[in-house]
Amino acid sequence: MTTITAPLDLRSTTRAAASRPARWSVFTTLSRRRFALSAHTPREILVPLLTPILFADVIAPALAKSIPATRGIDYQSFVAVGTIGLLVPLSCILGGIGMIVDRESGAQRDLLAAPAPRSLMVFGNLTVALAVSLFQVIALIGASAARGSTFSTDVSGWLWAVAAVVGLATFMHGLAEILAARIKKQEEYVGVAPPVALLPWFLAGSFFPISAMPAVLTAIAKVLPVTHVLALLRYGVVDDNGHGLHDIWGMSNTTAMATLSLAVVGVFAAAVLALSTRVFTREAIS
Amino acid sequence: MSGSNGRQPAIEVNGLTKVYSGGVEAVKGVTFDVAHGEVFGLLGPNGAGKSTTIGMLTTTVSPTSGTARVAGCDVVTDPIGVRAASAVVFQDPVVDRPLTGRRNLSIHARLWGVARAEVEARVSEVAARFGLVDLLDRAVETYSGGQRRRLEIARSLISRPRVLFLDEPTVGLDPRIRFELLDVIGGLRDAGAMTIVLTTHYLDEAERLCDRVAIVHEGRIVALDTPRALLGQLGHEIVELRIDAPGEPLLAFLRERALVGEGAFVLGSTLTLPRRGTPSRDLFAAVDDFGAAVIAVTTRPPSLDDVYLNLTGGRLPAAA
Repeated sequence: MTTITAPLDLRSTTRAAASRPARWSVFTTLSRRRFALSAHTPREILVPLLTPILFADVIAPALAKSIPATRGIDYQSFVAVGTIGLLVPLSCILGGIGMIVDRESGAQRDLLAAPAPRSLMVFGNLTVALAVSLFQVIALIGASAARGSTFSTDVSGWLWAVAAVVGLATFMHGLAEILAARIKKQEEYVGVAPPVALLPWFLAGSFFPISAMPAVLTAIAKVLPVTHVLALLRYGVVDDNGHGLHDIWGMSNTTAMATLSLAVVGVFAAAVLALSTRVFTREAIS
Repeated sequence: MSGSNGRQPAIEVNGLTKVYSGGVEAVKGVTFDVAHGEVFGLLGPNGAGKSTTIGMLTTTVSPTSGTARVAGCDVVTDPIGVRAASAVVFQDPVVDRPLTGRRNLSIHARLWGVARAEVEARVSEVAARFGLVDLLDRAVETYSGGQRRRLEIARSLISRPRVLFLDEPTVGLDPRIRFELLDVIGGLRDAGAMTIVLTTHYLDEAERLCDRVAIVHEGRIVALDTPRALLGQLGHEIVELRIDAPGEPLLAFLRERALVGEGAFVLGSTLTLPRRGTPSRDLFAAVDDFGAAVIAVTTRPPSLDDVYLNLTGGRLPAAA
């Protein structure tokens, strides 16, 4: 039987107590913890890649056989980019389950007792949400390219795309934190959260231009962040003319429209993230 | 009580109150100080307010009113200072079960500001002290309950806190591990290196470990003193009478005859009577006069259980 070898080396405890840790150090530790919990088996690393690869290899090519092109863009590439509007929200929202597990397992209590601002817990989780999102987008684009999709090689275009993905992931992660803070049980969360990720995707011009919808739905689509994200992504990697941006803004200067759309995404992301840290802190402390 | 050497106390609590949403008043204006190096016990039944008090002192529960300072830092205005100087072992498990023991220890060390270069040495040190060396690289979900508890206590000490909060630390442990942990806590106390606040249901733990004990009942401190002084309230000897009927009427009868004092109490059909110079024959004669049949008689020294049961019994409102 294992025994405890008491007493401890108590001289050590007479030395100066641990000082207040640097925020950066706490942030990186929290991020590493979340990575370790989210990807501690090969299955947890590979499963998130399965969906984008299946979309790119099966669904997009099949749809492209029925609809060869839209607005001069091959439909396979158009749909591949549209898929990002589903993948990122879904993986970010499902990441909220980890926060509920933290609370139910008690781990959250220990983290709340750590000498650091509690908002860093939200930012630590956000790092993982961003990494998983970018990882999935890379897998999707890679698999699509391997199946014959054509993407821009312009660096500035890719910067627009990356900024859009980061904004979308931040926005959806903020929503996930808010939902996870307010919903007490995993079972309840699983019932509520996916529609939050899915419903906007149907209106955001994933499979067709938003101008193809009735005017009311088009108007609704224009205020959804995911619509702006998809328009930015397509402008960045498949559509130099920015047809999606034009559907939203109706302007002639694509750079200006892209800037406006990125600003919309940024404002949504910043607002929801700020709200999520506030809600998390308020709900976590009784 | 102020610091033993004239320093500011390690913990100062003044009128601390917590009212949860819905109006539940869990803690009702408790006041106490804990000196540096002292082991301070909070004793009380479930729902007494012990864990809420610990929660406010560890800044995981926000006080409704009152003030508290831990290691000189105010729990409301400088919560990060409080948390940097302290560590807590919670009543319920809080480790990350999918991760290894080593990972749990190192994450905690880094969160509490232990330098990266020092983490591995600290992990090895606490693992050796708590018999965890062979378990370190296993996922915590494979640990037994006792192993997990040891990991949690080891983890709390890895940052070398100045103030350690132990919320029911031995609940659910087998007797051997429990006594070994008590030895460890006793070692911390003997070295005087760390201030410890301990909540427990086990009165023997409080008697063995604590320099002072606060008995908490319904959100209030109903007694606060050294175990010796608390025991002294009940005299040198306790007579326990078990009778064949409910004990309350007999106790009232004995009180009428001034044969028992304030420390006497009843649990079911058992009367616990501190002896204060009353000859035993007078006591038994009175029981005979009352008409009760005595099933068993025990005499023993008073324990903290007696103090606790006396104070948290029916006379509590008066005591509070």
